Amino acid sequence: MRPAVNQTLKRKLAHTLDLPSAILLDQATIHLLGDSEAKIVNHQGLVQYTSACINAQSAQGMIEVVGSAMEIVSFSSSEIRIVGKIRQVMLK
Amino acid sequence: MTSLWMWWQGYVTVRLRGPGLERLLNKMAELDIVLQRVRRLTGDVVIIRLKVKDFRLLRPLLWGTQINVSILDKHGAPFLLGRFRLRAFLAIGLMLSLLFVMYLSNFIWFIEVGGSQTLPMEALKGAVWDLGLRAGVVRSTIEPRAIEAELLKRFPVLAWAQIRVKGVKVDILLTERDGLESGDTGPGHLYAASDGVVTEILVLRGTAHVRDGSTVRKGDMLISGEYYDAWGQKQFGAAQGVVKARVWYEGIGEGALAKWEPVPTGRNHRQYAFTIGSITIPIGKSYPRNTHLRSDQEWHLSLGRALVPLRLAKIDYQEVEYIKVLVPREEAEKTAYVHAWESLLQQGVREEQVLKERQTVDFMADGNGIRVTVQVEVLDDIGLFFTH
Repeated sequence: MRPAVNQTLKRKLAHTLDLPSAILLDQATIHLLGDSEAKIVNHQGLVQYTSACINAQSAQGMIEVVGSAMEIVSFSSSEIRIVGKIRQVMLK
Repeated sequence: MTSLWMWWQGYVTVRLRGPGLERLLNKMAELDIVLQRVRRLTGDVVIIRLKVKDFRLLRPLLWGTQINVSILDKHGAPFLLGRFRLRAFLAIGLMLSLLFVMYLSNFIWFIEVGGSQTLPMEALKGAVWDLGLRAGVVRSTIEPRAIEAELLKRFPVLAWAQIRVKGVKVDILLTERDGLESGDTGPGHLYAASDGVVTEILVLRGTAHVRDGSTVRKGDMLISGEYYDAWGQKQFGAAQGVVKARVWYEGIGEGALAKWEPVPTGRNHRQYAFTIGSITIPIGKSYPRNTHLRSDQEWHLSLGRALVPLRLAKIDYQEVEYIKVLVPREEAEKTAYVHAWESLLQQGVREEQVLKERQTVDFMADGNGIRVTVQVEVLDDIGLFFTH
């Protein structure tokens, strides 16, 4: 089965069964707490890490967090927790 | 909680230096290694924190890369215990200290008094000392309820007393009465508090049993609580009135005609004493009082109003020889007179009450002193109410 068809089927299944699509579709989730903390769940790897810019890969593309004095307080295979002054979060 | 668990397992702060650090971090994440406090210092330096057991997994990941790793710091219980293993005596010392502190916590070390305004502190301290409550006693020997009851009994001025034992500290909480409550509300009579000759009587309620000029002895009834009201009915109430009488008091004092005076020999000694609770540890030799004059200087450790049972005393001994010195008769008489008056003051005589004063001087039988007897006549209210 082709990936696009696979995704479509999963989306329909999630909709029909009223399941959280983030889990079924392997989607990344981004939580923001004001402008001081961000949490990226279900990422697929860290691409770039500086105090001004953090890039993480996800199934939906590149997640870019832009800010200043940023620091990763916790990093695991499922989650990246960032603190600092967050200015922008982009999905590329 | 996570940090505490990490501390318990032990963790290291590691510096990674080299190119492609993000790739290495991803590889570590793939091995389920959780990294904490990932800090980017420069383009090729990252500082991370990871558990000790995860650090062992890091080595194989570095093979074939140009990344250097160095441990900057070690934290947590395993490292602390390891340090103690090397310093066995330190660990034993700490353990003994802990046991000693636990042992000391079985005693009362602080006593704090609250709520007392007019009650003399020395009297209260003396009373609680008698009742077994003092710094240094075993906590379990204290019986708060019994002490509270005894305090209320000993000090009528107290309306309420509470003893609260809080660890090594005892709080004595007191509440004093607004004013002493007199029990003269019930029926009763007025009696003579001392011997005397009545000079004035004023009956406010009751029937007079004495008149002006009557000689009364201590305990005689002065005013009865029984009386007839305006309708001729016999009533029994609280006798009220003022009975003034001339009362005589006698005080005796003695003064020596010779005294022994200490003359220093020039030899001095010093001793220190360290006191913890009821235990005193002297440092240095003690000297008898009959050959040495003693002067003490004490330092108490105090925390606010709390009584801390730690005391350091410096005791200076001055060796002396006693020589007999004759005292002039006038001086001995004066001393005896002062002592006689002290005796009168203790009996409750006030100088301003005195109407007449008479004194007699006698030599003591052994001829070594003078005895002065002072007799005073005072005008006093001798009425004392007792309920029937």
